Amino acid sequence: MANARALDNRRKSVKNIKKITRTMELIATARFKQAMDRATAATGYTQRITQIVNDLAKSGLEVSHPLLEKREETKAATLLVLTSNRGLCGGYNGNVLRSAVDRKTELEKSSGSLDLQVSGKRGLAGLKFRGIEVSNSYTHFEDKPSFAEVSEVANGFLDAYIAGTIDRLDVVYTQFVSVSKQRSVVETLLPLDSIGDVSESDDSKPTQESVYEFVPSPKSILEEVVPTSFKVKLFKCFLDAAVSEQIARMIAMKSATENASEMIKQLSMEYNRARQSQITGEIMEIIGGVEALEG
Amino acid sequence: MAGKIHCVLVTPEKTTFDAAADFVVVPMIDGEAGIGVDHAPMIGRLGCGEVRIKVDGKGERFFVDGGFVQVDQNEVSVITGNAMLASDISVADVEASLHAAESVKPETTEEKLAKVRTITQSKAMLKVASKNK
Repeated sequence: MANARALDNRRKSVKNIKKITRTMELIATARFKQAMDRATAATGYTQRITQIVNDLAKSGLEVSHPLLEKREETKAATLLVLTSNRGLCGGYNGNVLRSAVDRKTELEKSSGSLDLQVSGKRGLAGLKFRGIEVSNSYTHFEDKPSFAEVSEVANGFLDAYIAGTIDRLDVVYTQFVSVSKQRSVVETLLPLDSIGDVSESDDSKPTQESVYEFVPSPKSILEEVVPTSFKVKLFKCFLDAAVSEQIARMIAMKSATENASEMIKQLSMEYNRARQSQITGEIMEIIGGVEALEG
Repeated sequence: MAGKIHCVLVTPEKTTFDAAADFVVVPMIDGEAGIGVDHAPMIGRLGCGEVRIKVDGKGERFFVDGGFVQVDQNEVSVITGNAMLASDISVADVEASLHAAESVKPETTEEKLAKVRTITQSKAMLKVASKNK
């Protein structure tokens, strides 16, 4: 029979763990709301950029830019993997890493050299465990990636792409589809296949002649809009990753709390049984002793 | 809303300003442009400088760093990567970054461009901040 005291100690420690996971769940919920607000704020910007792109296209300008041109052969590719800095978020990092490793093998076959860059300590640790070398890493992106930080990284890629040191940039991250659905995806950001979000373009509107006056010229605006569009896309990846991370942590902690409650119930039952049988045993001993004295 | 224009100032992180205004001045890449009521539709590229929004005789001033402006049917959208209230600029910080940039001896073209960029940006910021007093 299990020792009642040992059972009680175990129950106490499970209770403590439950308190921690419950708190972590609440924190993740609060952070998720914040991250969600940031993501919503960014869509205002994205939509307006898309609007400008559409208006530019309507003006009959031929949209051509070095960032939009596909290179004939990919000599050097870069794979950027977005993971979290902290663990305890279920399958979040595992899923991203799995997609990353798949794409890495693919890219290694199709292109000459591959440069692997990782954001997040968990991703670094995961790749190290798999014995994969990482050429560059970022660990300063927390749950609130700022546009300035992302744009610095983006500028690095843009310069490298224009200089011809990289021919392709793929990003692996967790896409936020809805609160109940996130999935890890691989997206090719460079070369840009389209500027602006295709899904958001308003096809329903009848195409009319562009009425805009472009200052100083459509070409100059295009020169600026294309890199901005890339930066916004990359920023969106980071924001999506941050939102998804908090959701993943929320769900993981929720189930951890539920499991702890279940365990406490189980342990309480065992403890009560053990305690009862201990008491019964003691009473039997006393009765036995009394009977022996009387007899 | 007769005689008013709707002005929106957005960055990727938040909408900094969203209200009706009487008159808006934006820093274009080659000089400032004023936008009043019933301005012709326009898309313009912004430089570094000050956005002035006039609402009921009072002015709001922001520093913006590049981006675009779109004017259509009395709607002015200022789309920029970085925007801050002119009163939030810390002169000491900007001066420090200006000095740091000036003391750098660039070796590659990229470093040279970065240096020029930081200097123009800091100078524009200082110019905006100098009007604070």
